[in-house]
Amino acid sequence: MRDTAAGDGAISPARGGASIRVRGLSKTYGRPPRAVHALGPIDFDVAAGEFVSLIGPSGCGKSTTMLLVAGLEPMTAGRVEIDGRPLTRPLSDVGIVFQDHLLLEFRTALGNVMLQQQIRGLDRDRQRARAAELFARLGLVGAEDRYPWQLSGGMRQRVSIARALVHDPSMLLMDEPFGALDAITRTQIRHDLELLWLDTRKTVLFITHSIDEAIGLSDRVLVMSPAPGRIVEEIRIDLPRPRPAHLGDYPEFARYARRIYEIFESLGIYRFR
Amino acid sequence: MATSRLSTDPAGAPAGISAMAGRSGRAAVSALQTAVAVVFALGIWEALVRVYGVPIWLLPKPTDFLARLYTDAALIAYHAATTSWTILLGFLLGVLVAVPLALAIVSFGALERGLYPVVVFLNIMPKTVVGPIFVVWFGIGPLVSVFLVFLMCFFPVMVDAMSGFRAVDRRLFFITRSMGATPWQEFRYLRLPAAMGPIYAGMKIGIVKAIEGVIIAEFIASEAGLGYLIMRASGFMDLTLLFAALVATALVALLFNAVLTASERLLVPWARHLQD
Repeated sequence: MRDTAAGDGAISPARGGASIRVRGLSKTYGRPPRAVHALGPIDFDVAAGEFVSLIGPSGCGKSTTMLLVAGLEPMTAGRVEIDGRPLTRPLSDVGIVFQDHLLLEFRTALGNVMLQQQIRGLDRDRQRARAAELFARLGLVGAEDRYPWQLSGGMRQRVSIARALVHDPSMLLMDEPFGALDAITRTQIRHDLELLWLDTRKTVLFITHSIDEAIGLSDRVLVMSPAPGRIVEEIRIDLPRPRPAHLGDYPEFARYARRIYEIFESLGIYRFR
Repeated sequence: MATSRLSTDPAGAPAGISAMAGRSGRAAVSALQTAVAVVFALGIWEALVRVYGVPIWLLPKPTDFLARLYTDAALIAYHAATTSWTILLGFLLGVLVAVPLALAIVSFGALERGLYPVVVFLNIMPKTVVGPIFVVWFGIGPLVSVFLVFLMCFFPVMVDAMSGFRAVDRRLFFITRSMGATPWQEFRYLRLPAAMGPIYAGMKIGIVKAIEGVIIAEFIASEAGLGYLIMRASGFMDLTLLFAALVATALVALLFNAVLTASERLLVPWARHLQD
């Protein structure tokens, strides 16, 4: 069913992204005497096909938010709706990328990507064709038969992006996907992701603590406070796409960045004198 | 600049091939070195026994027992085959019990708390003392040997399989769950392949223990096998046969090791970098 929706297997899908609606979402770990209130309550929406970043200091509950939206952690309170339907079990129409590539060390690059096809029971030839196209788009040609330990950090993360997209999900959840990469690799892979997103228009929820990444990629940036995280500000980023490597080219970039720094300072995350 | 490009580029592909040839060449050289060393050591042995006229019932010459290996080939092969079968059965039984048990212990906390200490206690106990008990239970015969081999190789396989099953990053299950994986698929695609490397490491220790176990078992309770042959040769003070049986035991051990290594290369190709 999903395969027919994907049409001829091209990267550009016929289907749009899914919408996300989050209301009163909160998470507490542990039981009352030693309970840790980690998140919320938070409310936000992500429109279909929108690229939204969650930015905040370490431990503010960004990653928890992502796991809750994916239905991979039980929520303590609140509601998550995907395309208007309440989320009750792990979301499957989704691709997930973590900070560490989390590739299976016993599978080749292509084997890791084809795990989606094997577990979901999708059409093998069509998925192979999609994988080949994604490998070409992500600069991974020639890496198909290499094991993760034979790839650089940037290549591994590209493979895990391919794995998250090969089954043509309507949503992409990314938890600091470039956090472990060097600055140069990070800038390039950010650009490649933006181009891929412009073609596919999947809904993206992007977790980051990099102001550059948030502004460089997003339609909207949601700024979170330290734990228990709440959304304290919503910033719409009106910059033309694709955005350049050197974001400082735009005077607006400096304005957006200053805004986020100011919020962080007001929250006591930064203490500059 | 241009000339250096020209000179290196065409050499690129053949360089790869010659590097591979170099690797197999190096393996051949090291095999040759080993052979030379073995022949040299046997030569010294032969010379010393001849020069000092050591009687054959005390210490046979290499030519004596190597010749015996040939003249009594049928006898030795029969006992070597018996021993090999025993190892194979006990070892397979050990792996087939150890791996599922390791998975169960890792999966259920109650088993870990309840069963694991018992298993550890059984392992600390010297396995050979169980031999006489097995003799009472199963009588003289192959069953005693099979069970002793099982006991010897079971524990190292189980311990390594447990660490393999545990080594999977928790967040990988997030990814497979978002793919809608069933518990069987999680095992099939995640846990089992992740544990294969450690399981092989355990099996390599296990097979050494298994060979030790089979010989001891055949010493105490058997009517066939290399351990039995060694015991009988010792009883008759037939040291030529005893040494020939020793060589046969070493060959059986080498064979099992080679089969394990070869199957690992086939089934766990990704683990090779861990060994290099």
